[in-house]
Amino acid sequence: MEEQQKYARLFNDIDSQTLITLGVVLLATIVLIIVSQRGLNWIGNRMHGQVRFRIFALVPMTRLLILMTALAIIVPTIIEPSLRNMVTVMGALGLAIGFAMKDYVSSLIAGVVSAVELPYRPGDWVQIEDTYGEVKHVGLRTVDIQTPDDDLVYVPHLKLWDHAVYNANNGGTSLQCVASFYLHPEHEAGWVRKALRDVALTSAYLKFDKPIIVVAEEKPWGTHYRIRAYPVDPRQQFLFITDLTLRGKKVLSAAGVQSAMLPPDAALDTRNAVGSASSRGND
Amino acid sequence: MGEQPSSADTPLWEVVELDQFHTPEQTQASQWRRSLRSASKWLVGKSAAEQQVKEESELRALPEVRLAHLVPPIDWSFAAKALAQQLESCEAPVIFFITPPHSGHTSVVRQWAEEHHVACLPPPTLNELAKGGTEWVERCINQQKWAVPALERHFLRHTQGIQGIREFLERALSGRLGQGVIGCDSWAYAYLQQVIGIDGAPVFTLQSMEGEQLSRYFAAMATHEGQPPGVYSTRTGKQVLSDSASKQNGKAPNKELQRLAAHCRGHIGLAWHYWRERLREPKAEDEEALWLVDALAEAELSADTGDIATLVLHALLLHGGLDDHALGDVLPFSHHEALNARLALQRKGIILSCEGRWQITPLSYASVRQLLASRNYLVDPL
Repeated sequence: MEEQQKYARLFNDIDSQTLITLGVVLLATIVLIIVSQRGLNWIGNRMHGQVRFRIFALVPMTRLLILMTALAIIVPTIIEPSLRNMVTVMGALGLAIGFAMKDYVSSLIAGVVSAVELPYRPGDWVQIEDTYGEVKHVGLRTVDIQTPDDDLVYVPHLKLWDHAVYNANNGGTSLQCVASFYLHPEHEAGWVRKALRDVALTSAYLKFDKPIIVVAEEKPWGTHYRIRAYPVDPRQQFLFITDLTLRGKKVLSAAGVQSAMLPPDAALDTRNAVGSASSRGND
Repeated sequence: MGEQPSSADTPLWEVVELDQFHTPEQTQASQWRRSLRSASKWLVGKSAAEQQVKEESELRALPEVRLAHLVPPIDWSFAAKALAQQLESCEAPVIFFITPPHSGHTSVVRQWAEEHHVACLPPPTLNELAKGGTEWVERCINQQKWAVPALERHFLRHTQGIQGIREFLERALSGRLGQGVIGCDSWAYAYLQQVIGIDGAPVFTLQSMEGEQLSRYFAAMATHEGQPPGVYSTRTGKQVLSDSASKQNGKAPNKELQRLAAHCRGHIGLAWHYWRERLREPKAEDEEALWLVDALAEAELSADTGDIATLVLHALLLHGGLDDHALGDVLPFSHHEALNARLALQRKGIILSCEGRWQITPLSYASVRQLLASRNYLVDPL
């Protein structure tokens, strides 16, 4: 009898007025979250430059604030907020989470961490494991990444705990692009370097307040050149790389610079290496 | 290059070094106003009409003959004289004189060259630029003193198109071509500064005009005998031009022209176009006063202007205008796409053809510049 009274005191009396209050708070929370998420995304998608990223960064933070406010209202309404009650509830929750919903809750907690630490926010171009693309939405449990092939990949936030997140623009408008050229060893390297720099300087997509660097690396089969430069908008990265590649090829070809050709035995070796690597992956 | 207060004693035509250029008062406020109007247009669908003292329906455009009498073309000879004064004390092998589009650098340098009997170097042909040849540079070597009225005609933004101007500027800046004065569009100057590196050469420009100076200039332009004609703002109903009486009384000039000066960043060439386009006369025969309709309601770009249109506008500004063929050469998409984008901009009244080249219209320039700046494109220093 005494035990029953103890448990009865854990929860407040739930009368009809409390139920209505809880319903209103829940409804208001859902409506506020939907309106704020859609509204901020709608505005952000119509903006350009740094303003766009600032608005997108507000999306997860706003949702977190709304949820915390709702919890702060709901929990004291249901549970008598004493230390003993809280310890009891936390213990029960911890047991349930530990057995049944570990990954789910881990993702939710990582979602809170991501809203505070901002390893990614909508508009960022990130790579998590093998997925590269633009962050479209940072949800409670997952981050939605749109790949260049237009696939939407839902990556759980718990990847944050044990995987590296490569963020190409980190909430800004500067995203470095790399266009590669593989050239035959017999060429005038100084001229090629200057020509490739001119290719970048005359691109319509180039962002001028960032440096252009042409890197040359000698390989057994020839020389690998890379143009490292920044487009005006991160969303132009593939157009920018295509523009650099096409015009670079045209300039080099017009000057008689030949592309590197792998000798047959090297090509075979490479194919074997790829074959063995993929078979190891299958094992 | 920050904002500075105006002075009634400031001369109208002042050629200054680039780092002494400052935008007129309220330029930032003008940009905010334009952003706000663009946002309200985007949200509501059309811009809310401001309350007018005089309805536009009661007014009509001026006949061309009267317009030519009241708003004659700008006489750039005063600016050419101001430039000549600055050049007297300058010994550098090359001097740049830059202004934004429609603001007279070509006319000023050409007039200066005529007055001082200096030869103007002809620009290379489009074919020469496309091939990347430097033969046209060789044609410039037999001059002791020379002038280039429009440097933006000497390059194209592709790998071949910048070889000639690089060679030309390297020779000119090292003094091997004698002494020269180069007129250049401010956008082309910004681009060449990045691509070739022309730091170190003296750069001059026309100082911006405040509203009071615009008022003096427009009044003098329209005055042929006695007092200037009465011009009233349809927005406020107040007189826009200052007459001699109001100048003597030290009366503050109408804010309408300060608003216009801020909107045009103080560039007289752009302000002149607004003034000419916005003057109206009453339909009623018994009224004589002239009216200035809302000076800033120009052809505006929407905030969601696409990437292709933005790239076309930027290319046109960097080259001081291009024809369809050259436009296709400097853009990273097909001639067909470039033509479609150009046609769409033409239909909206954002660009027009001038001597076979497509250019940003003077009344759209302010909004195009603001759009490009907001999207992190390279913009001019003026």
